[in-house]
Amino acid sequence: MSTATGYNFAYLDEQSKRMIRRAILKAVAIPGYQVPFGGREMPLPHGWGTGGMQVTASVIGEADRLKVIDQGADDTTNAVSIRRFFATTAGVETTESTAAASLIQTRHRIPETPLQADQILIYQVPIPEPLRFIEPRETETRKMHALSEYGAMQVKLYEDVARFGHIATSYDYPVMVNNRYMMDPSPIPKFDNPKMNRMPALQLFGAGFEKRIYAVPPYTEVKSLDFDDYPFEVQRWDENCAICGSDHSFLDEVIIDDAGSKMFVCSDTDYCRSRQTNATESATATEETLS
Amino acid sequence: MAVLTPTVNSNALIAGFDDPVQHGQQVFRALLKAMSEPGTLIELELNLATPGLLNNSTWQTLLSLLDADTQLWLSPRLNSDERVTSNLRFHCQSPIIDGSKAADFAVALADELPVLRDLNWGTSEYPDRSTTLIVQVPALSDEPHWELTGPGIESRKTARIAGLSEEFRLALINSRKRFPLGVDCIFCCGSKLLALPRSTQIREMRPEEGEA
Ligand SMILES: [Zn+2]
Repeated sequence: MSTATGYNFAYLDEQSKRMIRRAILKAVAIPGYQVPFGGREMPLPHGWGTGGMQVTASVIGEADRLKVIDQGADDTTNAVSIRRFFATTAGVETTESTAAASLIQTRHRIPETPLQADQILIYQVPIPEPLRFIEPRETETRKMHALSEYGAMQVKLYEDVARFGHIATSYDYPVMVNNRYMMDPSPIPKFDNPKMNRMPALQLFGAGFEKRIYAVPPYTEVKSLDFDDYPFEVQRWDENCAICGSDHSFLDEVIIDDAGSKMFVCSDTDYCRSRQTNATESATATEETLS
Repeated sequence: MAVLTPTVNSNALIAGFDDPVQHGQQVFRALLKAMSEPGTLIELELNLATPGLLNNSTWQTLLSLLDADTQLWLSPRLNSDERVTSNLRFHCQSPIIDGSKAADFAVALADELPVLRDLNWGTSEYPDRSTTLIVQVPALSDEPHWELTGPGIESRKTARIAGLSEEFRLALINSRKRFPLGVDCIFCCGSKLLALPRSTQIREMRPEEGEA
């Protein structure tokens, strides 16, 4: 069944979608466990994240409203292209507003605006196996997950402490899901890790190259690894956002002139814009009250 | 295990989804919500004519998830209902097998459930390689009979699933000790369904707890 453009709905063929859908249901039933899936490659431009795309294509329907972010921004080339791709192949509405979206495909950030029940957050994942750099063999990492044998990761993090005096890992920071499976949260900053814990929205993760899908159901406990003497901590900035003044969002450092002057701005463009809009509205409201 | 190849009786055939792409997606989303929020009663919007003994939610679940890659086991009365087997062969193309242990999907009437340990619980390295059990039950509600906790549930939920034998109920409750091994269940009644993935903890409530 194809659209007028000659594509399958959401590009992917129905058999591939069904296979991915079955894998997604298994992933939801075993939180944090990586479900392998088969099927064809989705031939897409580099940087689009085929795993995330396959999950989105299998989940999306006509009633959805899709938001796509790349490092927090809706307006990068990749985010714009992916949004346009699903607008064309699935005819869905798109939005930049976190609150208005039913599906959010993301690369490397979790929106600052808290997600709600019935929203679905779909992560693009480059390397799904948190233990891969400790143990290159898939047969071995499977065993480690089967036995919850995660001591090697604790040792690795503690080596950071010995070398740097703190845990230096700041992205891709491993978590335990429902106190059972160690999971790679994808290369989000560890600043975003606490948002995963007991999130009311469903979180789905797609790794296209290794063909793995994993999931965190709503209200599931997600705990960042740490130690009694070195508790988990997120990044903090001395600066506020130069545009909206936020003192609690993840900030990107941007260079603003040839002299190398820098400023810090929210990485989440929708969040920053909605704070500016709110500020303008309340300023207008105040003026109206005064006049 | 043998693959049973029931002949397709064309006189028994009925229509599936009018729009397989959109309806298949909508039913999948209902199933995804059910599996993500265990114990939540989901009402399917579509009303389809159903083959033989299958009810609306069972039929739509099978149309949405099954294909030639999924091995299917049917409980005895479903397996001897030509309208069921003909339509499943025709619409889903799933091989119907006689051994439940190898089934990707098992479909059963509540009064002829397979023994839980005769289904595939997956392996500790590949717990996903397990049977999904779809049970057609006489009634489903959120009355306080089972208390449900675990992933997908904010604090606790209650559910009453009618028609399950005590043996099955106890086996399902006890199977949680073997997590991540286990069987994910979808209970279907009329146009309603409710899922209990293996991650959901089940506690049988005492009758007086229902009074609160
Ligand atoms: Zn800002």
